[in-house]
Amino acid sequence: MVNLILNENMKLYRRWRTWIMVGLMIGAVLLGSIVEWYYDTKEAPEGTWQEQLTEENRQYAANLNDPDTEEENKTYIQRQMTVNDYRLAHDIRPESGTMWDGINGSAELVVLITLFTVIVAGDSLAGEFTSGTIKLLLIRPASRLKILLSKYISMLMFGLLLLVILFVVSVMVNGLLYQFQHMGLQLVTVDGQGQIVERNMFANLWQSYLLNGVSTIMFVTMAFMISAAFRSSAMAIGFSIFALFAGTLLTEFIRRYEWSKYVLFANIDLSAYLVGRPYQEGMTLAFSIAVLAAYFIVFNLVSWLVFTRRDVAS
Amino acid sequence: MSQEPIVSLRGVTKKIGRATIIDNLSFDVPQGEIFGFLGPNGAGKTTTIRMMVGLMSIGEGEIRIKGKNVKSEFEQAIRHVGAIVENPEMYKFLSGYHNLIHFARMIPGISKQRIDEVVSLVKLENRIHDKVGKYSLGMRQRLGVAQALLHKPSLLILDEPTNGLDPAGIRELRDYLRQLTRREGITVIVSSHLLSEMELMCDRVAILNKGKLVDVKLIGDFIGAGDASQTFLIEALPSERALAALSDMEGVGAVHRAPEGLEVTAERDRIPEIVERLVRNDIRIYGVRARQQSLEDRFLEMTGGEQIG
Repeated sequence: MVNLILNENMKLYRRWRTWIMVGLMIGAVLLGSIVEWYYDTKEAPEGTWQEQLTEENRQYAANLNDPDTEEENKTYIQRQMTVNDYRLAHDIRPESGTMWDGINGSAELVVLITLFTVIVAGDSLAGEFTSGTIKLLLIRPASRLKILLSKYISMLMFGLLLLVILFVVSVMVNGLLYQFQHMGLQLVTVDGQGQIVERNMFANLWQSYLLNGVSTIMFVTMAFMISAAFRSSAMAIGFSIFALFAGTLLTEFIRRYEWSKYVLFANIDLSAYLVGRPYQEGMTLAFSIAVLAAYFIVFNLVSWLVFTRRDVAS
Repeated sequence: MSQEPIVSLRGVTKKIGRATIIDNLSFDVPQGEIFGFLGPNGAGKTTTIRMMVGLMSIGEGEIRIKGKNVKSEFEQAIRHVGAIVENPEMYKFLSGYHNLIHFARMIPGISKQRIDEVVSLVKLENRIHDKVGKYSLGMRQRLGVAQALLHKPSLLILDEPTNGLDPAGIRELRDYLRQLTRREGITVIVSSHLLSEMELMCDRVAILNKGKLVDVKLIGDFIGAGDASQTFLIEALPSERALAALSDMEGVGAVHRAPEGLEVTAERDRIPEIVERLVRNDIRIYGVRARQQSLEDRFLEMTGGEQIG
């Protein structure tokens, strides 16, 4: 089994394609961080952060007293004021203007990881069929299940590699740009009950990585299934990328139907529960995890059934 | 040990949809021979081979390799098999050497030394670190043979191995297979629709037609076999008179004119009499020879004149 994974990795990392993806990943982090840093330092507001927050709070107070302000906005404003007061009282500065601003911004690039891993996963099985190498692969003393599993594991390892690259590069480049100041800064937010929460920045970053990683795994598993079922790289990659971008859009249209909460894309963004805004009223984190687990099992079952039973004819 | 067949098929049947592709095949492949599958396109050669190596599921019946059931003991059965199914498609973006490493990792007990050994066996030392995408067809074929031999298989299965090879390449492959069977005792199964190839290459052939087994024969029996009476070609002039002289002769079958001379069907014993009669009739004889029926003729006879190729 270890040998099979070594093989899959060899086929993956001895291709230009893979390194181009890694390069693009690094490039995107560098570009995003540098652009943000450039405007950050150029358009830095005047005064210390304490002065800025005090000013911000003054404006918030004015908004609160304004009768035109909507209820929803008032809650938001109140939360912001609580945070600002806490920062001033405990001398914890906001992230803007520190390395953390750029690092947290780069976390958005997890979608690139999904994209690249889906491309690799979509081509992984279908590519062997197209090139005909599947024939030499399957006439060895290794069961088809093991071969399938080794491919799947090497896909996930590739996704993890890209995630580690994202983390290391974004911390390094933003650290260098901001001279590694405020590295130990704490994250200050309010939870659903309006209580102040103070958290470690690194922990928060990895939490958001992993929550986004869940959607990466779901899309990759889907691409892998299509790849196994239809033996077409183009179809597997195309359909999965389409789903990646159009999926959330589609769920907007069907939100009013009760059953739509069982749709994959309605559950795929687990970070919605962190900010307390589920797709539909009454959905819980446990519900979404259960739905995702069901899809995960079905996808893998289909890959396995189709791949192990298929006749290889050219 | 040599008595036991290396491969045995019993009642193997394969249906795809409603069509029966393979119909109740049963035969044995003896050890140490080059065994050919012969048949027109669509006869079921490739399907049979694919079922042997586990690329296609076996509908009914069973196939055993070295006594192991391909369906239920696949990993043990395939352990001793090296195969090239149609063209040996390798990973083009890897070097030849990395392709070999790839396949070596899938079978326990193949050392780096063995890889080098196989590389020099197929004479690819100079180009083994180049990407396969840059190889010529002949080199790919040789790399294909190398990957099939890595684990010292006792059975080598080649599906249409001469496809796309030039005559020199075919000859090289043929000599090479002979060497393998003689020196290392490997059994080879080859399929082809090229009769002349099989005639030169195989010890024994199984003839398939429309998914059914027509016959299994030693190649020698196959060609030499036939009725006691043979066809002889007699070059004699003038041919009109020769024809007339032989047409009413006792013990001589059909006589007709062929481009090279007269074709006479007769028993071997009658030849001196035939010659004598011609001489007496003042007919000049330039040559008399037995016409050997080729595999192709026999094949057409057996498969009912089906188009070959």
